[in-house]
This record gives sequence, structure tokens and C-alpha cells, in this order.
Amino acid sequence: MNHNRQSNDGKHDDDSALSDFLASLMDYTPTIPDELVEHYLAKSGFQCPDVRLIRLVAVATQKFVAEVANDALQHCKARQAAVVKDKREKQQKDKRLILTMDDLSKSLREYGVNVKQQEYFADSPSTGMDPATRDE
Amino acid sequence: MNNGCLENRKKEHDNSRKRPKSYKFGSKSDDFALAIAKVAVGQLCESVGFQGFHLSALETLSDISVRYIYSIGKTANLSANLAGRVEGNVFDIIHGLEDLGSNLGFSGASDVDRCVVSSGVVKDITHFVGVSDFIPFAYDLPGFPVVKESTKTGSFWEKGEDPPGEHIPSWLPAFPDPETYETRLSVENETMGVSNGKKSESELERVERNMDRSLLNLQLRFAHNENKGRSSHGSGYVATESNPYLAAPLHVGEKQVSPVVLPTKLSNEVALRNPVHVDVGNHVSVLETFAPAIEAMKSGLCDPDNGKKKLLYDQRPTVRFKIGIGKKSLGTISDLNSQNEEDPLKIASWFGNDNEKDDKKRRVEKILKESVESSKE
Repeated sequence: MNHNRQSNDGKHDDDSALSDFLASLMDYTPTIPDELVEHYLAKSGFQCPDVRLIRLVAVATQKFVAEVANDALQHCKARQAAVVKDKREKQQKDKRLILTMDDLSKSLREYGVNVKQQEYFADSPSTGMDPATRDE
Repeated sequence: MNNGCLENRKKEHDNSRKRPKSYKFGSKSDDFALAIAKVAVGQLCESVGFQGFHLSALETLSDISVRYIYSIGKTANLSANLAGRVEGNVFDIIHGLEDLGSNLGFSGASDVDRCVVSSGVVKDITHFVGVSDFIPFAYDLPGFPVVKESTKTGSFWEKGEDPPGEHIPSWLPAFPDPETYETRLSVENETMGVSNGKKSESELERVERNMDRSLLNLQLRFAHNENKGRSSHGSGYVATESNPYLAAPLHVGEKQVSPVVLPTKLSNEVALRNPVHVDVGNHVSVLETFAPAIEAMKSGLCDPDNGKKKLLYDQRPTVRFKIGIGKKSLGTISDLNSQNEEDPLKIASWFGNDNEKDDKKRRVEKILKESVESSKE
């Protein structure tokens, strides 16, 4: 009984926390606009007249993108630090951090998204092969 | 990209613009939403610390974020439908978030009796909101996609009419007005005596008559405008109302037209056919200019073959067939058309090919000699 009462109180706290959080969402405007989120939610078939839920989804997406970008940034900085060990000049030149497909694919792999790109594009099947093995 | 603060850099292998992705995110109708997503993602990356992007990387990340939203919606809708609801609520969304975050994990994921309300996902998001900066979206967006206003079907209910008969529901389109298909009793019964069976034709005829009337009014209006334009020519330029193509045709002599220069042969025939042609000024001037030539022609004509030529002119003035006696006719051509001394080369050119010049020359010379001899005779 006591345990139940405690759990009930806990639930009430959680409920209030959730409702407070949803209320606070109306103050915080996420970077991802509401119209975009509404469009894609409508496309998926999710119907909801409540604006707070749309804000919740927007904030969740923003969190996801921020995490992925952060991981990519870490990869980029790590690569630059590795290069700096060899040449100190590059530290001055490559101060700019640029989001590349390489870093992005590494960070996305942890989230279960496989983004792979071609290493290079060849114009014929025998490109890059030894001249002896080519049938010409 | 679109923001002034973000910069783009060209890369070694640029992905083609055509997206080989699933149709729902790669179609042309989604371009607007994807562009907005790119801007938003770019802003987020900038806030994280990036100073530039590769375009392909930005496109990939924005596409993935859009799919994230889509999958949240799909999972939330699925859980709402499973619970027997059409509209989703917050618990459905939290379920969706948990599903997506399950591979990375969130606090409390392994609890058996966990409540959705106290989910670790929500706590993470709450923490994130508290930590992150407030970055508003760069542009003001209208609600999209824009919903087209549906045209009224014109149902009975909309028109406020009672459907004739109880078997017809009120949401069906209303019947057309009886005026469109019934004969008018006032005028048409007089004109069409026995036409009770031609109800449909009367409607057609009425429509045609209306069309004719409107066309007539239009023409009258243009004529009226034209008259207006002529009278008030000094006041203003009546360009919009007076259409030159619909104006009344001009009478002969109303407008000064540049004279037509007829070719010499035709003009001579005209002169011979109509020696006194005064009322049209153009022909007179042509006559005057070509008078000496005509006189020369006449003199040339009268000498050798008088009767034949006159016959020809009486019958077919436009086409001149020189039906002479072989060599004589050729001689007359040469006499008529080259008033100066004959150039054998010029005459040779009438006979065609330059390849056989020598043979032709000889032949021509022979003919000329013979014709000269005959004329002398």
C-alpha cells in the first residue's frame, strides 16, 4: 500500500514534469520550424491538433541533428589534430571546420544510418588494373 | 547557402543533383520542404561549431533529419491506431522516440516496469532544451502545402433547395434550372408553330441567337469606337478600343498607297489593252514612263509580222507565243529585244548550256545570217 502510494506520487510528479515541460516548450522556439514538422507528420499520417506535440517532435529532431553534428565535429577535430602532429603549418591554414561526407558517415554509423560513398569513379572496368592483365 | 553567414565549399566528387532516393523524399513536390530543412540543419550545424559544409553532406544530413521526423510520425500513428485512436497524443510520440533511440539507448531503457511518462527520452530532451541556445529559424514560413479551396458542388443542401422527391438525398448536386430545358411560352410558341418535339433545339437556337447578338454588339461597339477615334483624333490615342483588323474596309482611293511597278511586258499589254485609262493614277504614270519603249516596240512589231502579232494580242495578251516560221521568228526576237548590235554570246545564252558553246555559237551565227538575208529580201 505504501509502495503504491509512493508510486502514485511518483507518477504525479512525472505527469507534472511532463506537463510542465510541454508548457515550457511553448516558450522555446526550436530551430526546426513548426510548418516543416507539421508537413512531414501529416505525410506520415500522424494527426494531432496539439501544437505542443509538434514542438516536442521538433525539439527531438533538433537534439538528434545536434548530436550527429557534434560527433562529426569531434571526428573533424580529431583528424585535424592528427595532421597537426606532422605539419604545424596546417594548424594555421585548416582552422576552418568543414562538415564533410567522411565525418558525417562516421558519426551516422553509430546511429544506425549507413551512408557510404564511392571512393572514386572509374570510366571503364579496366581502369586502375595492371597493364599486363588488361585485355586490349 | 541561403544564409549569408554560412559558407559552401566545392568538393572533389560532387554528388549529382538527381537524388536516387525513395520517391517520397526525392520528388519535385518535396523540394520546398527539403530546402527549408537544409536551412534549418545548416543553422544547427553552425551553432555546433562548423564553419562550412560540403553540399552533399548538408543534403544528406537534412534528408536524414526529415526522415527522422517522418519515422517519429509513422511510429506514433501506428501506436495510436493500435490503441484504437485516430488522433495521436504525447504517449504515442514518446513511444516513437523510444523506438528510434533504442539502438543508442536512453536511461531507464532496460526497466521492465517503466512508465512512458518518466521515460529517459523525455528527460534527455528536457536537459537538451535547458542547455542549448535559442536559435530561431532564419525565415518566416507560410503554412504549406497550400490547400486549394474546393469548388462548390452545388448540392441541394448548398443551394437551399428541397430535392424533388424523398428518394433524392440533399447532398447530391442540384438539378439544372428548369429555364434551361423548358420552352418559353411568351415568344417562341408564336415563331415555332409546331415544334413541341424540338425542345432541345430551341435551347441550342437560343444560345446561338445570344452568341450572334453578342457578336453583333461587339462589332457595333468597335465601329462606334472607330468613329470615336476618327473624330477625336487630335485629343488622344484610342489604341485599346479601335482594333485595325476589325475596322471597316477602305474604299479605293481613300488611302495613299505606293504605286505598283509592273514589269515591262505586262505594262505594255496593259497600255495596248487600255489606251485611255485615266481614273487610276498608277497606271497612267506607268504608261508615261514606258512610253518611249512602247513606241519602239510598236515600231518594231509593225515591220515584220504584223498580222500575227495583232492576232496574238487580241486573243491572249498575257502569254506571248512566237509562232513564227522557224528561223524567221528567232530573227524577230533578236530584232525586238536587242535594240543595239546583237551580241552572239547573249543570244547563245538563251539556248541554254554553256558546255556546248562552240556548237551553239556556230548555229546561232548561221541563223542570224539567214534571218538577215531573209529580211533583206
